[in-house]
Amino acid sequence: MNRKILAIAPLLIFIFLCVFLYQGLFANPREIQTGRIGQNMPEFNLSDLMQDNKRWTNESLKGEVYLLNVWGTWCPTCLVELGYLTKLREQGVKIIGLYYVQGYDADFDGPFDMQALRTDVTDMLGRAGDPYQFNILDLHRTLSLDLGVSGAPETFLVDKTGKILLHHTGDLNPRVWRAKFAPVIQELN
Amino acid sequence: MRLFLLTLSFFISMAVYAEQDRYQFDNNEQAVRFEELTKELRCPKCQNQNIADSDAIVAKDLRDKVLTLVKDGKTKDEVIDYMIDRYGYFVHYDPPVTPATLVLWVLPVLIVIIGFGFIVIRQRKASVKQTWNSDDEAKLAKLIAQNKRQEQN
Repeated sequence: MNRKILAIAPLLIFIFLCVFLYQGLFANPREIQTGRIGQNMPEFNLSDLMQDNKRWTNESLKGEVYLLNVWGTWCPTCLVELGYLTKLREQGVKIIGLYYVQGYDADFDGPFDMQALRTDVTDMLGRAGDPYQFNILDLHRTLSLDLGVSGAPETFLVDKTGKILLHHTGDLNPRVWRAKFAPVIQELN
Repeated sequence: MRLFLLTLSFFISMAVYAEQDRYQFDNNEQAVRFEELTKELRCPKCQNQNIADSDAIVAKDLRDKVLTLVKDGKTKDEVIDYMIDRYGYFVHYDPPVTPATLVLWVLPVLIVIIGFGFIVIRQRKASVKQTWNSDDEAKLAKLIAQNKRQEQN
């Protein structure tokens, strides 16, 4: 009996190694770069993209399940994504935009032109569809840094209490929605 | 050609100066810590570049954040933890011990040790002293006699 176990041990180790390494072969290396899942939305106090005097804080977002979508008009993948996000909004998903400003460097680009940015945003959302309830302006990318955002587009799923349940890097499409977001949202309801 | 190289080296040195000039430190210790950290932290946007080398916007943000944290007097570990908290273990080049990494490190060593043990045990078994007595002697003589008869036939 003992000898039999010893004889198949190498085979078992080999199979284990195969499974382990095979998984690594198809794992998405971008998938793991998330430190915020299971934690609460970081504290912030930022202005609205369209209105200077309107402020948004982590407290004011609490109470509803929502998607936080990081985007910018400079980002081609975000443009592609807008159509599907708009469909989701029509299905009743609450989507909040986090506008990721890329070209802001006071020493380099001169004073930041807020008016030009707003015109850009209105143009793009008018053409591609507007999925957002409202947009938060992350001028210095401070909230983005706290969320572990490395670029755009990225999407977070946040529950009623403000806890971050999912963090998706890359565009949101029907396939990602079905595989990643839909099961988690179903569990919430 | 010479003039070209000279101007080129001039511009390169200017660029290096500009980069160092961008970050002001209160003391040398801070500068060293900043340099070490930006080399050890991995840019989350680019697949394999540290934040000191990368031009990605997130790398610039992380450099600025490291600078602020270092100036606040945070230690190296505190800055690294701050980044891991946000960007996951991916952001640091020194991976932590988790079950998955443990398998990667321990398994090869284990396989080598077990393999050597196996060889040693087999060697020992093979070299166990053989006993020889009169019974064996008689059996041998019988076998030789049998063999001879077969050859003759």
